[in-house]
Amino acid sequence: MNRPSAPHRESDSTRGENVANASAGSKIKGLKCRECGRLYPAVAMHICEFCFGPLEVDYDYEAIAGRLSRRSIEEGPKSLWRYHELLPVTGAPTVGLHAGMTPLVHAKRLGKLLGLDNLYLKNDTVNHPTLSFKDRVVAVAMTRARELGFDTVACASTGNLANSVSAHAASVGMKCFVFIPHDLEAGKILGNLIYHPTVVAVRGNYDDVNRLCSEIGGEYPWAFVNINIRPYYAEGSKSLAFETAEQLGWRVPDQVVVPIASGSLLTKIWKGFQEFSKLGIVSSNPSLRVNGAQAEGCSPVYRAFVSGKNHLVPVKPNTIAKSLAIGNPADGFYSLDVVFKSKGAIAAATDPEIVEGMKLLAETEGIFAETAGGVTVASLKKLCEEGRIGRSDLTVAYITGNGLKTMEALTGALPEPVAIDASLSSFRKNVNPSN
Amino acid sequence: MTQMRLHLTFPEERVREPIVYEICRNFPVVVNIRRADISEDSGWMELEMDGELADLERTVAYLRDRGVVVAPIEKSILEG
Repeated sequence: MNRPSAPHRESDSTRGENVANASAGSKIKGLKCRECGRLYPAVAMHICEFCFGPLEVDYDYEAIAGRLSRRSIEEGPKSLWRYHELLPVTGAPTVGLHAGMTPLVHAKRLGKLLGLDNLYLKNDTVNHPTLSFKDRVVAVAMTRARELGFDTVACASTGNLANSVSAHAASVGMKCFVFIPHDLEAGKILGNLIYHPTVVAVRGNYDDVNRLCSEIGGEYPWAFVNINIRPYYAEGSKSLAFETAEQLGWRVPDQVVVPIASGSLLTKIWKGFQEFSKLGIVSSNPSLRVNGAQAEGCSPVYRAFVSGKNHLVPVKPNTIAKSLAIGNPADGFYSLDVVFKSKGAIAAATDPEIVEGMKLLAETEGIFAETAGGVTVASLKKLCEEGRIGRSDLTVAYITGNGLKTMEALTGALPEPVAIDASLSSFRKNVNPSN
Repeated sequence: MTQMRLHLTFPEERVREPIVYEICRNFPVVVNIRRADISEDSGWMELEMDGELADLERTVAYLRDRGVVVAPIEKSILEG
């Protein structure tokens, strides 16, 4: 069959894999359909051939339980790879060796303003090497891709994901293709070009880019991190939950606030806490509430939450929070399900509220987050005002990217410098030393 | 022949209309529904469509004209 337009065919996307290696790991049983439960080998595929449901990594928890302990974790490297047992790779990590283990900041000043005594911020603005949580998922995706025999990696992204894939590919000499819409501002791609990937600017709108990438993902023997490698890629986000629990002294928080783009991050943080509890690494916390944060200009999950429905209506994104601007989120339904199941909530922030959130975070905690961080802080504030998060709740908010990446969002939002002449008298006249 | 795997989202005003019947009648494409969830006021469907590329593209354009959101099976691939 001639399939130039086939958005996805697993037989092609699995090319280049080492199937023997794929099934050899004693902790990975294979891939499992989230909907119908059908099993597949742990190869490069992401959709159930029978029902088109998404595939997830199926772990052998019994085998893992025999090897994993707090001590074995503490003896591991100071990176996300200390949780290697619960990540979907079979051998030693080969990509992104320094990703993860970012600070968990006790945010006393921000907490005081919001009326929270136990607020913590998981600060992925300083993740290595590209300053966003994407370094976690890409480290895992590319390590797995190399295990499966791929020599080329690809993604479709306008920001953090492209940065991370390009940098990690450069670090191990993999070929790299990044797809972007043709009308993306030049400044947005400079941070990718420095790593020398092939950047393909597609003439067309976002829908056209999506469709083309889906077709390419089925046609070329590449590791497309968020298409055929997605089951592995997504698992990297669990490390945020693992680190949070360990950094809290092996505890599960009462409340978490997580930004929602595709929805995968939120569901995987939940899964990470569940896995640690199931394996006895932490005591389970039945009162854990998983809360979501969206930008109002792209809030399909928030809208479904507010309406009490589990059907998401896709939207055309219109927000300054570009890293969260996913109008038809792949895991939107599943993230909504986690929020409902955990009795959490979802809040949404307008563009001005996002900027205020960024400023509030910087002014109180000295953390300069990108717009997604502004969404998280603004949503956290709303959840507190609505009484959904209590003063004494152990609360963790996830700050997922660095503010240096979205400087344009602050244009006109910050005060001008105080201009003075180079004289003491001018200084005395213009500057109030008590400020 | 070409195959497409698609995720369709139906808005409230279209959810009661026989759109799958319409595309099968109007275009030479074979539609195979794999998964769907339709309620009174919204719904989605995942299907594969086989046909000549030009016919598939005309079918997708028709669906979009009728207000159906058509996405690849992966939905939004382009990330920030």
